[in-house]
Amino acid sequence: MTPLRITVNGREHVLPAPPETTLLALLREHLGLTGAKLGCDVGDCGACTVLVDGLAVNACLMLAAQADGRSVLTIEGLATPDALHPIQQAFERHAALQCGFCGPGVILSAKALLDANPAPTAAEIREALAGNLCRCTGYAKMITAVHAAAQALHGATDERSPRATPVPRLPLPGGGTGGPR
Amino acid sequence: MSDRRPVTEQEALRESLRGLETARLPATVPPAQFPIETLVPEVRQQTPAVGQRATRPDARLHGLGQTKYIDDLALPGMLHARIKRAGIAAARIARIDTRAAEAMPGVMAVLTGREIPANSFGPSLQDQPVLADERVRHAGDGVAAVAAVTEEIAAQAVERIVVEYEPLPAVFDPFEAMREDAPRVHPPAGNVYAHKIIRKGDVERALAEADRVFEGRWTTQMVEHVPIEPHAAIAAWDANGRLTVYSTLGRITLGRADIARTLALPVNRVQVVGTIVGGNFGGKNEISQEPVLALLAKKAGRPVKGVFTRGEEFYASTTRHPFFMDYSTGVGRDGRIRARKVRLVLDGGAYCSWSETTLGKACILATGPYKIEHVQVEAFAVYTNKTVAGAMRGFGAPQVCFAYESQMDEIAAALAIDPLEIRLANAFDEGAASPTGQTLESVVVKASLEQAAARFGWREPRS
Ligand code: FES
Ligand code: FES
Repeated sequence: MTPLRITVNGREHVLPAPPETTLLALLREHLGLTGAKLGCDVGDCGACTVLVDGLAVNACLMLAAQADGRSVLTIEGLATPDALHPIQQAFERHAALQCGFCGPGVILSAKALLDANPAPTAAEIREALAGNLCRCTGYAKMITAVHAAAQALHGATDERSPRATPVPRLPLPGGGTGGPR
Repeated sequence: MSDRRPVTEQEALRESLRGLETARLPATVPPAQFPIETLVPEVRQQTPAVGQRATRPDARLHGLGQTKYIDDLALPGMLHARIKRAGIAAARIARIDTRAAEAMPGVMAVLTGREIPANSFGPSLQDQPVLADERVRHAGDGVAAVAAVTEEIAAQAVERIVVEYEPLPAVFDPFEAMREDAPRVHPPAGNVYAHKIIRKGDVERALAEADRVFEGRWTTQMVEHVPIEPHAAIAAWDANGRLTVYSTLGRITLGRADIARTLALPVNRVQVVGTIVGGNFGGKNEISQEPVLALLAKKAGRPVKGVFTRGEEFYASTTRHPFFMDYSTGVGRDGRIRARKVRLVLDGGAYCSWSETTLGKACILATGPYKIEHVQVEAFAVYTNKTVAGAMRGFGAPQVCFAYESQMDEIAAALAIDPLEIRLANAFDEGAASPTGQTLESVVVKASLEQAAARFGWREPRS
């Protein structure tokens, strides 16, 4: 078993993993990053969405070995210790998440979109979120939130832009064995 | 974040929530600003919360991916469970051979229905086995379960369990199931397991005397809730023989009683921990795999987690009842409804689950929000060899609403009356009586209709 060399949220990991390990299992079980969710395990729901070299992928369908040598961004890597990412901020302000289970995937799909297209149309947002199913909130508020985030990101140098909400340093998930809270 | 230094992570999180920029409701009651006595809510008086902007207190952690759902939890030494599903709609279980599964490396425990102390549960009728032991009643019935060190091994082990079935005749259509000679899902009892009737006035005479009688049948299909989070639970025993179950259950108090009952434990030895649920919609309102996990954990001496596959969500969890709705409505030339006779048949699938609640609510609401002097509603919930129907948002209300509002449109069209006007002419007023004789208060159906019509310009000339 040759160990995999994967950069996750900016940090390089060298991990031995059995060949059948999916990227999702690697993140959730080996690295304790439980933000990406298992919703269907067959590529239908998008709850497992993470970014690999900037592109949104269904981590349940990708083998960990396919991410060897690449850079992975999960929801845990989006906020800084001091500030929410503007997309997270917009989702919060626009009440775009109810149960929240789809949230990490939706937010990362939005991130992939806004990185490639800073000012998307509603149709482009819908297209980018088409692989992420949500059963609670619906998509209207998400589209509003992505618009708002695009504006916040676009106008980041604009003096009038709202300051990022400070957040305290968050506990790191405890290696996959963090007990219930 | 200046002079205050958060002491613990939790305090820090609480602190962060306080900093939300949008105006929101206080998480706790502000001290001594309100009279201490509890106010009795008065009819028509809204609470101050209505109309205010609120931010969900849990929104922050959702967005950060830090909310811990059941599948995000893990306990040291935890095993993974899989349940073997019957895959056959009706059969007697002749034999279950678990030896090959037990012999697999990595398999720590195997369980069958006969080992369950009290193998039945259900919110009103306890007619559902935790794992089928003698008889399979629908293809999604669990027949055995495995706990292993990995999910993959558990899944492979389940494949190696051999179940010998003697197939039985099955019934899939509720009308067929209602016939005397139909195969019985729960013999010796018949397939109609719940029946309700509501009568007011003399519906037959009023129908005979009405200017027009409209008849129709409306049907709705089975619907799965499809929460994006599948059913998940973890069972763990402590050294004193007490059980803790972490579960996606939406009704943990009810679930606790059911778990205790199936395991023949006093309820005070069972603790149920619920966290944020990743979508419920009524589908997580009763126990499913929890007793199985508890018994596997007991056998293995280690905590056991179970997560439904997406497939199991469809065939082994509850669904919304398919309804068959026959309406006869007697109407005057003026568009006033004189009489309405309704017959509902609910396809309940293999077990009762929340059918009685659904049946009751559907009956009460079946004639719609309309003043009708002569009413008869009769409803049946029927067993079939299909996926169980249970609670889903509205408990039968959406189904009957679809039927009576569809019929209102047909009546309006036939009498050349505006669809809005015919509803206004018949809708409940303040103090109206429901079909079961309840005096209704805060009745705003006409005002709501008027307001909605004004908002989308119903009365404006249409081209
Ligand atoms: S879990 Fe990967 S798409 Fe659903
Ligand atoms: S908020 Fe529940 S699935 Fe999207």
